[in-house]
Amino acid sequence: MSNAMNTSDTILDIRDVTRTYFMGDQEVNALRGISLSIKRGEYVAIMGPSGSGKSTLMNTIGCLDVPTSGTYRLENDLVNEKSEDELADIRNKKIGFVFQTFNLVPRISVFQNIELPLIYKGVSKRERRKIVNQVIDDVGLSDRAQHKSNELSGGQRQRVAIARALVCNPSIILADEPTGNLDSSTGREIMEILNALHKQGNTIILVTHEDEIAAHAHRVVRLRDGLIESDTVTKSVHLATTDSAVS
Amino acid sequence: MNLALDISESFKLSLSALVANKSRGALTALGIIIGIVAVITTMTAANGLKNTFRETFASIGSDVIYVSKRPWISMGPGFEFRNRKDITLAQSKKLQQRLQGRGVVNPSIGGMRNLKYRSKVLEDIRIMGTTEKQIIVSDMVPSTGRFLMPFDVEYKKNVAVIGSEIAKDLFGQSGAVGKIIKVGRHKFSIIGVMEEQGSSFFGGPNFDRQVFIPISTFSKTLGTRGGRANVSIAIKAPSPEEMADFEYEVIGEIRKIRGLKPAEKDDFSLNKLDTILSAYNNMMGVVVAVGLMITGISLFVGGVGVMNIMFVSVTERTKEIGIRKAIGAKRRSILMQFLFESSIICLFGGIIGLLISAAITQIINQTLMPASISPSIIVTALIISVVVGVISGIVPAYRAAKLDPIEALRYE
Repeated sequence: MSNAMNTSDTILDIRDVTRTYFMGDQEVNALRGISLSIKRGEYVAIMGPSGSGKSTLMNTIGCLDVPTSGTYRLENDLVNEKSEDELADIRNKKIGFVFQTFNLVPRISVFQNIELPLIYKGVSKRERRKIVNQVIDDVGLSDRAQHKSNELSGGQRQRVAIARALVCNPSIILADEPTGNLDSSTGREIMEILNALHKQGNTIILVTHEDEIAAHAHRVVRLRDGLIESDTVTKSVHLATTDSAVS
Repeated sequence: MNLALDISESFKLSLSALVANKSRGALTALGIIIGIVAVITTMTAANGLKNTFRETFASIGSDVIYVSKRPWISMGPGFEFRNRKDITLAQSKKLQQRLQGRGVVNPSIGGMRNLKYRSKVLEDIRIMGTTEKQIIVSDMVPSTGRFLMPFDVEYKKNVAVIGSEIAKDLFGQSGAVGKIIKVGRHKFSIIGVMEEQGSSFFGGPNFDRQVFIPISTFSKTLGTRGGRANVSIAIKAPSPEEMADFEYEVIGEIRKIRGLKPAEKDDFSLNKLDTILSAYNNMMGVVVAVGLMITGISLFVGGVGVMNIMFVSVTERTKEIGIRKAIGAKRRSILMQFLFESSIICLFGGIIGLLISAAITQIINQTLMPASISPSIIVTALIISVVVGVISGIVPAYRAAKLDPIEALRYE
């Protein structure tokens, strides 16, 4: 994966995207023409009340969904025209999902959960072991590696999910209400991890409806009725490309 | 994505899912186990029957033609055969002369009679009137004593060579040769005991329960009143290679002997080992086909059970499928995971089924007939199991593979 992009350091570019789907025979315009550009190393919060289209936007950015019209480029790659398996491949390599409900696979161990994306990527067993052990260490769960996910606390589960999101070294970390199912102190822990990841140069997109959580981001995009209501930079951004402090 | 890696990982993922849900997997496999046991036991039983049949008729040489009034195997009513003129001893002698020493001609005649030795009675024993050439046309030799000799036939001696089973029943371990048995009111002196011929086909002739006496003696003492003696003539070809030509020659000579005009149909039947074998194979083919069809139904039901569980499994794990897709599983990976799961269940069922079949076959072998599980049956059973697994898994697995990741993730 090349980090050096010839045009700019724009990591994703959404142009005039609409998404219409049908619930029964009712037409729902979830996105009604959204344009959004995010640069590498940004820390963006997407906010909005329920029904504002933020879930649909997140699914689109996460390549789980494709726009009805408009274009979506991820690292200059046009996503709208991809087949389902190509989308799976993009999700695997470029997107790291962190969900509100953790979404770990039950029955299998922490190690195996974190290993899954690498299996789908086709990484050899030896290589996988090395990467997974490293990432587990990073989130501080080395002593829990062989535990099943249902033997962990909520905070631990979310850390496993973050480890799983990081394991393929994605272009974007997409966190959907990552603290929604956690108590506030555990939530803070998780946000600290995300903040740290951002400091290391990762691009993070945070979907939330809590101002407190959104405050961690450097830029807040507010949606209403399928349109962008506001897009404000809340903190001065040190983009990864100019930040030499990355270890 | 590397296919080999994909396969081995799918296999492991499926296995871990099965291990997590052991009792369900085992119950589902039960259907397959029953199906495989039914199918495999049918196959081994069919093989056993075939073996028994071969052993039974092993003493009939493949280069021997039997000319008799009735065919050994016939369909429908036998009026046509009943009205035929008898084949006589005289015709047998003429045939021998006409063949001018080529081949071996042996007339024989048989009937069921009771056999007595002191107070012991054996009922419905096949008494064969024959000549010394019997042991040339059929592959049997006496184990003790001697067989009939030309002079026994010529002088119509009251001598008998008995089958091994009769010897055992009447005399146990003590020697049979020299003992006197009675057939009807006629006394026969035992001059020999035949070698054991082994297991006999159900309903077929048991060659260990027959008695050979000179054909001349048979006509004199046991023949029906009025001299009706329906002889069967066994003719051994000079060599197996000449069998086909020799057969035509024999037909021609017998037609001449029985005075048939060129347009007339044969009024006798030609029987060969081939005739029985092909009739048997036809019959067994049908029986085995029907048997496999019926037992196949149980396997089919087992397969439906697997399919059912796979649908449940896919529905239960909708969310998991969504997660896997979100983190990069392609359709193929999901498809394979579930296909492997159903195949493993079925393969497991197949292996257990084979073990049970092996035990049943062992019991059949010890009680009914020589039966065994051949390597080809093992391979067939395993292949069938996997095929059933793939077939019953394909629709649920396909449904899983094409789930929409967003919908699947939302599923609770």
